[in-house]
Amino acid sequence: MLKIQNLSKTYPNGTQALKNVSFDVQDGEFLVVIGLSGSGKSTLLRCINRLIEPTEGKIIWDNVDITAAPPAELRHIRRKIGMVFQQFNLVKRSSVMTNVLSGRLGYVNPWTSLLGIWSQEDRQRAIQALDRVGIADKAHSRADALSGGQQQRVGIARALMQDPKLILADEPVASLDPVLSHSILQYLEQLNKEGITVICSLHFLDLVHRYATRVVALKDGVKVFEGSAKEIDRAKFKEIYGEEAQEVRAASL
Amino acid sequence: MPTARILRNTLITALVIAAFAVSYRVTEADFPRLFLDLPKGKELLTAFLTPDVFTREVETRTVSLVFPIPCGSAPTEESLPSEGPRLVPSVLCAEPLEKFTLEGYDLQPNSEVVIRWRLPDGRTMTAIRTQTDANGYFTYEVQARPIQSTVDGVASRLEVDTLTPVGELKPSQALKDVLDNMFVTIFMALLSTTLATVIAAPLSFFAASNITRKGCLGTTVYYLFRSFFNLMRSYDPLVMATVFGFWLSFGPFPGFLALTVVTIASLGKLFSEAVENIDPGPVEALQATGAPPLHTVRYGVVPQVVPDFISYIIYHWDINVRISTIIGFVGGGGIGYYLNLSINDFKWHQAGTAIWAIVIVVWAMDFLSSDIRKRLT
Repeated sequence: MLKIQNLSKTYPNGTQALKNVSFDVQDGEFLVVIGLSGSGKSTLLRCINRLIEPTEGKIIWDNVDITAAPPAELRHIRRKIGMVFQQFNLVKRSSVMTNVLSGRLGYVNPWTSLLGIWSQEDRQRAIQALDRVGIADKAHSRADALSGGQQQRVGIARALMQDPKLILADEPVASLDPVLSHSILQYLEQLNKEGITVICSLHFLDLVHRYATRVVALKDGVKVFEGSAKEIDRAKFKEIYGEEAQEVRAASL
Repeated sequence: MPTARILRNTLITALVIAAFAVSYRVTEADFPRLFLDLPKGKELLTAFLTPDVFTREVETRTVSLVFPIPCGSAPTEESLPSEGPRLVPSVLCAEPLEKFTLEGYDLQPNSEVVIRWRLPDGRTMTAIRTQTDANGYFTYEVQARPIQSTVDGVASRLEVDTLTPVGELKPSQALKDVLDNMFVTIFMALLSTTLATVIAAPLSFFAASNITRKGCLGTTVYYLFRSFFNLMRSYDPLVMATVFGFWLSFGPFPGFLALTVVTIASLGKLFSEAVENIDPGPVEALQATGAPPLHTVRYGVVPQVVPDFISYIIYHWDINVRISTIIGFVGGGGIGYYLNLSINDFKWHQAGTAIWAIVIVVWAMDFLSSDIRKRLT
């Protein structure tokens, strides 16, 4: 279980991205974080694996305080938390294989991997991960030769290499053609059904309705809603997104 | 306040004019001389434009005659031949300082002619060089000098060599020397660029703010390396070469060291800027997987900067060929040193060969490096 307690983040320039946010995530949930751009979704996700250092508050995962972990222990914790990014964050010039293998860097022998040497077992694992997202045939292409949807699937394969218990997905479909949204989210849903907890930030409400087991909404860094997607009625919607907001649907597939 | 502004602008204008006036005086600028001294420059330019590149084997044929000075000190030629290669002086003997005309007939046509005196003791004195016409004829006014006088009844002889080029064109000694020295320069530049890369590439990561500038220690390291590169860069390669030259005595090695030091600084700065300009996304992704810091750099940063690094390395090799030419002038060996020697010995044609070689190599390197860099991106 992941417990987020009184989390606040103030950037050095004074921006308060998160204000006293608290909620729990049960194992096996598909938690979706919604909110306008700049509402603190990315900051929240990055505080969980401490890519961003929270200013105040605690994050406790299976009784371990992530916020208090020294660097070595933090790396140990991060191995179990996969992350998928809006911009995919692949090394464009490296091969798909190398990108996927790099998800394993927290586990493997540091000396051989520094030289670029990988065991047969790890290579096998990488091919399996690529196979799960349906692009095993692209293993030896350069990452930037792939389409956006394929690149995001490489991103998921890289997270799978970590053998994660939790996946943080920061706007995983926002850079993609809306018609591809489902293809990516279905992979995450599949992983979720196999027992991996997913925390995902999304823009489109119809996707939220389709995939979320629970929803947390942020507005200006404050948690304004927590509950099931069904509870978000017109009034709640206006509260989260503001008076001028109109609901837009991702391609109704 | 318009008055104040006018006053200020007038003052600034006056200062600028004064600055230019002073610069004009200290540089002793005298542009008319560029045109007045044109003949001197023309000779130089002509020599540079006709480099010493090829030679041919030369066949030398000599004709001679006895020429007593003064008359009566020794017997003259009894009779001059009337056909075949022959010399015909206007007089058969002369008093010291007397001038006479020397003609040559039926010599090798269009050949270089060397007229010289063979003194009674066997020594020779070259008098003049000239050229035969298409019929093998030449004429020249010669002066009898006291030193050429008869000694103990033995008269000086007038000798004329005709030098006829025969056989194939061959690369001249100057061309061979220039090529040898050019190789020294190119490989000096190659080696110094390589060594500088090996040193600068790892160090540059310490001078990249996105890698090191975290926490107190990291920031210190960052500023330390950054100022190290900046400090080394502020010394001109020429100054460096002079320092190493006095330390290690002049030659290619100190030149190579000077070039290496300057290249480390310059590449270090360029490399660190390439590292700073990477897409931070992959680094973030690798940190999120729990990869150790060194591996984050190895897998997240290095693949992104390799094309930039290679491009800078080739560019610097190109620059270093140019710089090492200049370094040669202060004794750094290679083509610059050769050029300096040639100019000091007034061997303009030889210098011309070196200058042409530099122009060609620099042009070729420039073309090659820009072509390779274009392919990399």
